[in-house]
Amino acid sequence: MKNNLKQIVLHRLKLKDTWVICFVLGMVMMNYPFISIFNKPTLPFGIPLLYLYLLVGWVFSIFIVYLFSRAARKDSDTRGHM
Amino acid sequence: MLDVNWVWGTALLYIAFLFLVAYYADQRQKAGRSITANPWVYALSIAVYATSWTFYGSVGKAATTGIDFLPVYLGPTLTAFTWWFLLKKMVRISKENNITSIADFISSRYGSSQWLGAIITVITLMGVMPYIALQLKAVSTSFTIITGYHDFHVGFMERVYIPSPHPGLFTALFLAVFSVLFGARHLISTERHDGLVAAIALESLVKLMAMLTVGLCITYFAFNGMADIFQRVHQKDPQLLVRLTTLSDHGDNSYASMFSILTLSMGAVMLLPRQFQIMVLENAHESHLNTASWRFPAYMFLMNLFVMPIALAGVLMNGSNVGADYFVLTLPMQLGYPWLALVAFLGGFSASAGMVMVESIAVSTMLLNHVLLPVVIKLKPRAWFPQLLINLKRFGIVLVILLGYLYQSVVGESYMLANMGLISFSAAIQFAPALVGGLYWPRGNKAGAIAGLLAGFAVWFYTLLLPSLLRAGGWQSDFLMNGPFGIALLRPQEFFGLSGLDPYTHTLFWSMFVNIGAYLSLSILLGQGEKEREQVDRFVRVFAPESATPQWETKRLSKPVTIVQFVNLMTKFIGEQQANVAITDYLGDREIDGKGGVSEFELPNLKRFVEKTLAGSLGGAAAGAVVESFLSDIGSRMEPVYDIFSTVRTSRDQSREALFVRLRASEIMNRSLELDIIMGDLLELLLREFKLDLAVIRLLNEESVLQVRCYRGIGGDRLTAEDRLLEIDTHVGEAFLGRRTEFFNDTAFITKPIAKEIFRREGIKSFAHIPIASEGSQPVGILSVFSRSIVGLFTEQFVELLESLAGQMAQAVRIVEEREAKERERRQKEAALLENARVTRDLELAKQIQLSLLPESPPTLPGVRIASRCVPAAHVGGDYYDFFERDNQVVDLVIADVSGHSVGAALIMVETRSVLRAQIKEPRSARDLLTLLNELLYDDLTGAELFITMFCARYDSATRILRYANAGHTRPLLFRAGNWMELDAEGLILGVERNVVFEEQRIELQAGDLLFIYTDGIIEAENAEGELFGIPRLCGLLGPLSDLEPEVLIEKVLSEVSSYAWPQPLQDDISMVVMKVA
Repeated sequence: MKNNLKQIVLHRLKLKDTWVICFVLGMVMMNYPFISIFNKPTLPFGIPLLYLYLLVGWVFSIFIVYLFSRAARKDSDTRGHM
Repeated sequence: MLDVNWVWGTALLYIAFLFLVAYYADQRQKAGRSITANPWVYALSIAVYATSWTFYGSVGKAATTGIDFLPVYLGPTLTAFTWWFLLKKMVRISKENNITSIADFISSRYGSSQWLGAIITVITLMGVMPYIALQLKAVSTSFTIITGYHDFHVGFMERVYIPSPHPGLFTALFLAVFSVLFGARHLISTERHDGLVAAIALESLVKLMAMLTVGLCITYFAFNGMADIFQRVHQKDPQLLVRLTTLSDHGDNSYASMFSILTLSMGAVMLLPRQFQIMVLENAHESHLNTASWRFPAYMFLMNLFVMPIALAGVLMNGSNVGADYFVLTLPMQLGYPWLALVAFLGGFSASAGMVMVESIAVSTMLLNHVLLPVVIKLKPRAWFPQLLINLKRFGIVLVILLGYLYQSVVGESYMLANMGLISFSAAIQFAPALVGGLYWPRGNKAGAIAGLLAGFAVWFYTLLLPSLLRAGGWQSDFLMNGPFGIALLRPQEFFGLSGLDPYTHTLFWSMFVNIGAYLSLSILLGQGEKEREQVDRFVRVFAPESATPQWETKRLSKPVTIVQFVNLMTKFIGEQQANVAITDYLGDREIDGKGGVSEFELPNLKRFVEKTLAGSLGGAAAGAVVESFLSDIGSRMEPVYDIFSTVRTSRDQSREALFVRLRASEIMNRSLELDIIMGDLLELLLREFKLDLAVIRLLNEESVLQVRCYRGIGGDRLTAEDRLLEIDTHVGEAFLGRRTEFFNDTAFITKPIAKEIFRREGIKSFAHIPIASEGSQPVGILSVFSRSIVGLFTEQFVELLESLAGQMAQAVRIVEEREAKERERRQKEAALLENARVTRDLELAKQIQLSLLPESPPTLPGVRIASRCVPAAHVGGDYYDFFERDNQVVDLVIADVSGHSVGAALIMVETRSVLRAQIKEPRSARDLLTLLNELLYDDLTGAELFITMFCARYDSATRILRYANAGHTRPLLFRAGNWMELDAEGLILGVERNVVFEEQRIELQAGDLLFIYTDGIIEAENAEGELFGIPRLCGLLGPLSDLEPEVLIEKVLSEVSSYAWPQPLQDDISMVVMKVA
């Protein structure tokens, strides 16, 4: 079951569509109006919310791209270099 | 303040180290073991994106406007999502087309337009100049801050009072030297620059380390971590913290500016010349994109992690954001960490140096390829051209850097660092519509791209660069406030009254509005040129599998060009060695004909290859122009092939027409067995379906001449009437002997004088001779087709169709020939049979005649009974016997055997008979008769190489005395009272010697005697085992039968001999005369 899920995720990550969706999603999440949710003068953990949101979002997106590159690498491993 | 010598020495050491690393990488590259072809190095080198603007400027921006420093780095992270398809596509296209720069990339997409390339270069130069200026300024300012000197101060120089160089100038010169050494070793811009990339990667590492070190020290040593800093600012000035860490509704730190900076930075990371240079041109392998797409964002993240803390720490320590641009440098000094300041200085220097080096090389390549080369290639190429070009490129690098220096000297002092960077970004984003549209929108065209770029550039210049220049110059004049001539609508920063936006958003909106608008509308309104359409495929469909593209060439060179000519052309620009290497690569296993050329269908490919090779050094547009002008110099040009198959291709390699013609041809072949009808119909089909004017079929005849067998069409007396010998000096002969199609798409370039004359007179524009041959066998003829109207009729596809028809034709010819050969054989056999029958009939006749020459019946004499028989082995034979009755009592008896039993023998036998009959009238003894016959026949026998054995006897029934003589004949047998004896007499065969003496014997016969006279056919009869019948067997047979009647006896002997020899027929004639004395 876990393996299956991994396969499905890997497969979806290989699709160009997924990349584009993530790109658009990132664009949306960094712009008005979405970003206004975090645009508040509060300091959770002593750090401004917006700043924290952007940093965490950043790390998260880097992680997503990392997953993408893993999937794509597997892809190119099996199909030779594209 | 740090001791200036310290700073000086450290910087020099660092520079020396950079040189060493670059040199080492270069050496490794030469040895073929690149250290930069590595995903880590690639990711680090992309970080050239982080310039001193990042290193110093981010902190400045964070301290002044706040959180909107982040989108500059968030944008690239977002684009990383697109790298795996967008950047990969760009890399693939660039590698396949030998792209040299972003200007080359975009102009190549739009039909290698030189104008487009030049426009992009100018925009780049103007956009990038402030950016380079910014880097140089950062170096000199940081030097000043760290040492307190405004010039590049060397301790001992204080005493000699020589004006020391300005640190900016020194940096500029150093960077120029470095870039020339490692960025312009060759003219070929597509070759990777390992030395440069290694240095950039190292610098990226240094600046990251420096930033992290500074950030960690300030955040965790000077303060108690990030939260502590935020907390302190919160306590000190809550309003400030809120302003810096949240977005407002309008102004600099707004939602709108967030969006525009995000967009600008996304564009910049892909479109800035140095990014294109590093990410696309210096990419060693496409798979490196994969890992770089997360490593580069991670780098950006680390680089910016401490920006906000440093900025706020600076604000806390200084009470305000004055001088925030250099907090990274000043804070360590304020905190009493001079070494940390030195580290920060090196980091900042690395950030500046990397950017300037790559940018100058990229821009210089663009300058050379798109501004200088269009002028240079107008000149006549000289031997020193390769040298000139490489030096122009080096000069370009120096020029770009010095221009940057000049800019910063004139305007640079007044404006904030970050603004200069964003001005550059706003210029670079102008390329985006043309580039992205060019990659994904097939309809995008050159007019749209040029118009969009020009319009966007104009807006950028008017709304962003001009105000910033005016402000830098301190001319905060009416112009900005009230617009030109007081027209408020044209105010540069509130264009058409659009207010409330920060300058970058304002510029981004207007420039993209006009840029995209012009690009889309012109692309839709106007069409694409032919060259553009060709390029669209290479860009938009670069990933399309090869099999999906049509395999047929749609272009041809109007005049064939040889390989040598192309090599000479390349030599003029890239040097002899490079040219030879390139052409050797290309030719590989391709077929070259005797004249040192490739096939006509290969020529367009070769031309494209030459263009591509030149493009690697000169850029696509210039390379195209060079090849174009070279072709026009030799009187050739690319022209579309005449598309004989106009319909949509039904399958990959066959058009509907081709299929139709093949089908019709098969029908024609099957419909008739007459070669002439087949040929005629086929030629008519060709003339009708294609625009041919004349078609001729010549077939090889028995005299090895190609004989005109059939023709259709108008005119061409000499072409249709003359047979052709198999000679190499006619095109027909060449096609036949070479066993390959000879075609000329333009008879103007024909070399054979006779053919040229004929074609000129007949007005033939193009022609083809196709050998009529089945697969792998000798041709049987030539199919020739001629056109009077169309040059370039014979495309690869058409020739293939004609060849296939000729193949079918060959089958038909072969079948017809086979049928004719069979027919001929049958007739020959028939004739032979007829002839045979006739001879047989003649021989039968001769046999009858010959038999009739023998006595009809034996003579009747008193006291003796005679019987005789002759059985020829063949129709005619050489045996002969005769009786001549003298009177009632005496009879002359002759038996002879001419050697052989041919017609010749028969004739001799007849002659013998005639002579004998003539001579027998005289009463002669048997001996005399033989002597006489020998004399008379000798000449004829010798001449015919025949001879005769003969037995001659005279029997007197009154006295019963038999006188006889023998000329070598088988001795007759005499049976008397159960015994037998041979009648012997000496004598030589007739026809051996002229004078022979014969012996004559006499014997008296008695009643009951049986005389058996015969020819050797009886005793020489062979049975199946090859044994002869022989005299003993004959005697054994005759002995018991001697009482029988002679007739019966003859029958018995005959049947006995026949059955003995069975199953063979008798080999020799058999004759017998039996005389029984009563």
